[in-house]
Amino acid sequence: MTTAQTQTAAAPLAVPAVELIEPDQAPILARPYFGEGAPSPITASLAHVPELLEVTLPFVGRALGPSAIDAHTKEIAIVRTSALLECRYCVQTHSVIALDSGLERGELLALRGEDDVEAAFSDPREIALIGWIDAVAGGRGSVEDGVAEAAREALGEPELVELTMVVGATLMLNRYCTALGLPTSEATLERLAAEGLE
Amino acid sequence: MSAVEQQASFAEAIERGSMSGRLWFYANYHCNLRCSYCLTESAPGVPQRELGHERTVELAREARELGFTDLGVTGGEPFILDYMPEMIAELGSELPTITLTNGTVFNDRRLRAVEPLADLPVKLQISLDRPDPDENDEMRGPENFAKVVDAIPKLVERGVGVRIATTLEDPDAVDPEERERLCELHRSLGVPDEDHVVRPIIKRGRAAGAEMGVLAGFEQLEPELTITADGAFYSPFGPTVRGGRLDTDLLISRTTSPLRQPAGALARIAEERPAGDDAATGIR
Repeated sequence: MTTAQTQTAAAPLAVPAVELIEPDQAPILARPYFGEGAPSPITASLAHVPELLEVTLPFVGRALGPSAIDAHTKEIAIVRTSALLECRYCVQTHSVIALDSGLERGELLALRGEDDVEAAFSDPREIALIGWIDAVAGGRGSVEDGVAEAAREALGEPELVELTMVVGATLMLNRYCTALGLPTSEATLERLAAEGLE
Repeated sequence: MSAVEQQASFAEAIERGSMSGRLWFYANYHCNLRCSYCLTESAPGVPQRELGHERTVELAREARELGFTDLGVTGGEPFILDYMPEMIAELGSELPTITLTNGTVFNDRRLRAVEPLADLPVKLQISLDRPDPDENDEMRGPENFAKVVDAIPKLVERGVGVRIATTLEDPDAVDPEERERLCELHRSLGVPDEDHVVRPIIKRGRAAGAEMGVLAGFEQLEPELTITADGAFYSPFGPTVRGGRLDTDLLISRTTSPLRQPAGALARIAEERPAGDDAATGIR
């Protein structure tokens, strides 16, 4: 669990691999997800397949959105997973959300692999969680018994189950966003610049 | 909802009239003509995007089981495809079928091929817009009028059901004298008044680029499931092409088989659809 385990996020593609559907071309079943403003690139790309969009976005919303687990904890899972998977879009987008959820800048940098996790985090529960995320998102095959036991003790079974699903949903989005080269919004890039982050 | 429940609710939606009982197929997108108001920018050189003979017939069988009442085939020009007469005969054996054609490709070989359709609940809907060759051909291309008025009586003689569709920029503004001459013409070709439909140009596809026709979106159109090589759409006016790009605003799903999947989605949309003015626009 050191900075060596994560690497710099992949450079963005010049253009997304697929057209991002504009609101005036949004399929009927996708329209409720477009809202009033510009849709997220995940929504605008998934709109190519509306029957997939209308099950994926509610699932992602349920998995990553408000729930019994506080937003701060969920963002630890999302940012750390995204950094391990080198998903530029997800790291950038969720860095802003993580700061807004109460993560300290030092904690964020550590989760992004730009600082030492053990120096940034002192709560044993959060350290156990990060160990679990590193094993689930960064590893292959089964998770070591010791890591699993520490996570179960620190988090309890319901929370361990939910956070594992948060990691899984994030992994899916990481590969989706990276493979399709989805662009980070201008607003997010401006906020990151203001925070001195990339 | 189980498949059986979904099938029942779909049949009920058709029976209630909240959605059309007709299932449309886009057989292809290529065409021997290049009409100025074409919804799909069809022309000889465009990608064919063919739906396919076997796939279409399989979907038609499922449509009958789901409670659809009839079928429609359009394109492109369907009769460019050699298997079209045989395929339409198979569709007609499942449900009453109407096939839209420009009527310009009925040479002797194709006329012989469509003869079996005379014994089936099948009609060919042929486009004829104006009673005068020059004016008709201005929008539809050279020799269109001559080929159509040659083909229609030959089809009628063979007992094949023929309807005539007249597509106009503003049907209400047409000169009554011209309209009467057009009706005299179709009667003389063997097509009675009840088989003549007049409809407006729809402002989508090539017509939208030329600023022609009436607007037709979700609010104006009747829910009428339409299957194409690109997916299932809300209406046969949905899978339009502009600037070479397929419009997706009326796309329902990319999944077309099993048919109950897009049919169920359309039924759900139809239930939630606000009251529109599709009847007023005469787009049906």
